[in-house]
Amino acid sequence: MAIKLTDIRFHYSGQPNNRVLNIPSWSLKTGEQAFVQGPSGGGKSTLLGLLSGLLTPSHGQVTVLGERLDEMSGRQRDQFRASHIGYVFQQFNLMPYINAIDNLLLAARFSSRKNSNLLKDEIKTLFGALNISEKEWYRPTRDLSIGQQQRVAIARALINKPQLLIADEPTSSLDKANRDAFMKLLMPMVVDNQMTLLFVSHDLSLSSYFTKVESLSDFNSSEAIG
Amino acid sequence: MLAKLSIHSLMDRKGSVMLSLMAMTVSIFVLLGVEHIRHQAKDNFSSTVSGVDLIVGGRTGSINLLLYSVFRIGAPTNNIRWQTYENITNSKQVKWAIPISLGDSHKGYRVLGTTKNYFQHFSYGKKHHLEFFSGHKFDRLFDVVLGAEVASKLGYKLGDKVALAHGIASTSFSKHDDRPFTVVGILSATGTPVDQTLHVSLQGIEAIHIDWQQGVKTSNSTITQSELEQADLQPKSITAFMLGLNSKIATFQVQRAINEYTPEPVVAILPGVVLSELWGMIGVLENTLLLVSALIFVSACLGVSAMLLASIRERRYEIQLLRIVGAPPYVLFLLIELEVLMITLLSCVLAGGLLAVCLAVLHDTLVSHYGLNIEINLLTEDSLYLIAAMLSASIIVAVIPSFSGYRKARATSV
Repeated sequence: MAIKLTDIRFHYSGQPNNRVLNIPSWSLKTGEQAFVQGPSGGGKSTLLGLLSGLLTPSHGQVTVLGERLDEMSGRQRDQFRASHIGYVFQQFNLMPYINAIDNLLLAARFSSRKNSNLLKDEIKTLFGALNISEKEWYRPTRDLSIGQQQRVAIARALINKPQLLIADEPTSSLDKANRDAFMKLLMPMVVDNQMTLLFVSHDLSLSSYFTKVESLSDFNSSEAIG
Repeated sequence: MLAKLSIHSLMDRKGSVMLSLMAMTVSIFVLLGVEHIRHQAKDNFSSTVSGVDLIVGGRTGSINLLLYSVFRIGAPTNNIRWQTYENITNSKQVKWAIPISLGDSHKGYRVLGTTKNYFQHFSYGKKHHLEFFSGHKFDRLFDVVLGAEVASKLGYKLGDKVALAHGIASTSFSKHDDRPFTVVGILSATGTPVDQTLHVSLQGIEAIHIDWQQGVKTSNSTITQSELEQADLQPKSITAFMLGLNSKIATFQVQRAINEYTPEPVVAILPGVVLSELWGMIGVLENTLLLVSALIFVSACLGVSAMLLASIRERRYEIQLLRIVGAPPYVLFLLIELEVLMITLLSCVLAGGLLAVCLAVLHDTLVSHYGLNIEINLLTEDSLYLIAAMLSASIIVAVIPSFSGYRKARATSV
C-alpha cells in the first residue's frame, strides 16, 4: 500500500464542529495512478496536507509508503516528505527569482541524499528527459513560459526520486495543448520510475490517463466546507 | 544554498530592500562616524600637551589651572612671582622650564609671553615638537610667532605688523598700538590650542606694559624703542610655568614640594591626570551623541525588520514551496535572519567606505578649521567591536520577522 487512511477525522484547531474530513477508510496501492476528482472546497487541500505531512489528523491513522505519518515528529515528517514525496502545484512550483537548476538544487537540499557531485548531472539528464532546453536552465524561472515552468516543476518534484507523486491541479492554468503535452510528459515518467501517482483535479476529462478514478465525496463523508 | 536563496530573494525585492539598505547605511555611517571621531577627538584632546611633567600656577583648582595654561580658556586667578619661578626651577630635579605669561590678546586670539624654551621643549600628541611652517623663533623684543590658525584666519605672513590689545576680549578699547610686533615665524598646525596663540617673549610683554599703570595706559608714552631695548625688562611675575623633570619617578615628590612651597601659595598639577578629569566632564556630551546614534541605528534595524515582516505575507507561496520540498520551519527563521544580516553587512561595508571617503576628503579642512587630526583608518579594534555589536543588534531585532516567518511556515499547508 502506498497510502492507507484509517478512520481519519480532521477539523481545524478551534473549530471542532466544523469537521472538514471524515474518511473511515481509503487506500492506494503501490504503483497505482489514481485520479481523485473533487470540487474546490471539498476537503481536497486538507487531504493533501495530511498526506504530505504538513497537517496531522485530529483522529485516525495516516500511513504513507508504510510509515505512520501521524506518529512522526514535525522534523521527521519534513524529512520524509523531502525524501519520498514529490509535489506539483497548480502554480508557484518554483522560486521565481532563481534559475531552474538552483530550484532543483534547493529541492534536493532538504532530502536525505548526501552525494551532491552527481546531482548536477542528474538534473541535466532529467531536464533532457522533460524536453527542457539548455538555454532555459540558467534563466530565472519567472522568465519561462507557463508550459516550461510546469515541466521544470515536474523535474523539481522528481529530483529526489520520490515513490509517491502528488499532483494538485497541475494542469488548471494550462491551455488544452499544454495540458495534453504535460500529461504525455508526466505519465511515462511516473510509469518508468514505478511511482505511485495521486492526481487531484476537478477536470474529469483527464481521467482517461489513470488506472483508478475516484471522487473525493465517495470516501469523505464529511459535508463541511474546507 | 540558503545564502544564495536569500541574496536572490533580496535582489528580487530591489525597491524596498534598497530603501532599507540606505536607511541602514546612513545610520551605520552616523554611528561609526560618531564613534570614530569621538575616539580621535579624545586622543587629540589627551595629547594637547605631552612631555610636560608638571604645570605650576597660583593656587587654584587644578582644572582651572589646566584650562588657562594649556587651553587659554578663562582667566588666571593669581600670578606668581618671578622669584618663585626661579626658586623652583633651580631645583636639581628640574630639567627644563617654560614660563607662561598671559593677559593680552589680538583679535580674540590669546597672546602668550614665554621664552625660547617653549619651542624647544613643549610637545603635543606623541611627543611631537612644535615645527615652524615658516620663519623662526622670536629673537628681538617685538617679534611675534603665530600659531597656524591665527596666521591663516587673519591672513598674516612673515614681516606683517601686529598690534596687541590689553585684556582678552576680542574687541578691546585699550590697544598696545604704539608698539606693534613683527611676525617672524608661523608654526605648523598642531590641532591644539597652540594654533590659536600668538607667542612673544616675556620681555615683549613687559615692554608693552612699561608705561601702563593699573591696566590703563598713561598718556603719551615718552620711552623710545632704543630706550626700551636697553631697559631691564625682567618680568616681576608670570602666570604659570611648565616643568620637565630629570626623572619621572620624582614627579610626585616634586609636586608635593611645590604644593608645600611656603613663600607664596602655588599649586602643581600633572597635566595628563587633569586632562582625563576634564575629558570625563566633556564625556557626558559625547556619550549622549553616541546614544543618539545608537538609537538611530536601532530604528533602522526596526525599519528593516518591518519591511521583512510586511514581505512575509506576499511570500506565503515561497514559504509553502519551501515547506513542501521538506524545509523545516526553522529554515524560514534562518532565511529571514540571513537577509537581515546581509543587509546589515552590506550597509556596514557601504557606510565604512563612505566614511573613509568623507574623512579623506575632509581631512585637511578638519585639521585647519577645527584642529581635529582624524585618522582615516577605520579598522580599529573599537570600530570592529562596534560593527560586531551592530550585527548582533540587527540579529536580535530580526528575531521579530524571523519568528513570524517561522510561525507562518509551521502553519503552512498546501
